[in-house]
Amino acid sequence: MWLAHILQGIPETPPLNPIARWEWVFPVVEAIHICGFTLLVGTIVILDLRLLGISLRSQPISRLAKELSPWIWAGMIIQLTTGPYLFSGDPHEYVQIAAFRNKMLFLALALTFHFAVIRKATTPSADSAALGWRRPAALVSLGLWFGVLLAGLWIGNL
Amino acid sequence: MRFCQWLSETTFSRNLRDAPYPFPVLIIVHIITIALFGGMVVMGNLRVLGWSMKSVPVSQVIGQFRPWKWAAFGLLLVSGTLLAMSDPVEYGGNIMFWISNALLLIAGLNALIFHFGAYKSVAVWDTAVEAPTDARKWAGLSLTLWIILVFAGRAIAFF
Repeated sequence: MWLAHILQGIPETPPLNPIARWEWVFPVVEAIHICGFTLLVGTIVILDLRLLGISLRSQPISRLAKELSPWIWAGMIIQLTTGPYLFSGDPHEYVQIAAFRNKMLFLALALTFHFAVIRKATTPSADSAALGWRRPAALVSLGLWFGVLLAGLWIGNL
Repeated sequence: MRFCQWLSETTFSRNLRDAPYPFPVLIIVHIITIALFGGMVVMGNLRVLGWSMKSVPVSQVIGQFRPWKWAAFGLLLVSGTLLAMSDPVEYGGNIMFWISNALLLIAGLNALIFHFGAYKSVAVWDTAVEAPTDARKWAGLSLTLWIILVFAGRAIAFF
């Protein structure tokens, strides 16, 4: 009992994680997260519009994909660093939010689809072929990323 | 400020503020169009700087995405105006709101100067990896302004 008494007298230490400790860290990291998403959306939308045959039709798909690739990676790295860090501020709260769980589901689907299907759709050997199945694939890609964004926005709204 | 107060008393503003749907829906439209518009502006700038899509002519990157940019920008302006009208007193007195709008105006002027200045001679450097220094300067400035704008826009909710 005396130990509990002494422990009660020790002032509560502020959390060590900066995002839980200072109020301004969250909006700053979140702003970086928005910049990263803009980059990711910019590159992926351009690629998907090409796969749909809407934009840059005179450009070979594989070359465009190759030139966009470092920026898609940059966007993903920014997102996969800032995202988990935002989450680390209050993990118990986030896992209980349905919108957060939906976002993770869409994210897993979008990433899998990107690396499994979109990759295949942008290989050099497919360049001369008709767009065919790649059109609906581009629509699915757009839909999945849209889902990630929508669910992400919903986290803050609820 | 008196104008803001009058505006916030109007039925339209009241409905925007008190009904459950308008605000989240407007925020969602606003951020999605920011991502679409910003993404295309960023990619155009990266092309002019010679950092991405080097093999694609500059005029294709800028020209073919123009209709999308305008469509997104239109929705961006409409949703932004409605968001501001949902609580004019709050936003009118928010310094970050005015800084964001000033930045938007500067970014717009920057785009106009680029379009009617450096971009006029695009036919000469269309397929070059890097645009001339003058054009790259404006593209770099545009990129910087948009990044600051995201931070300032996010800060509106913080002040």
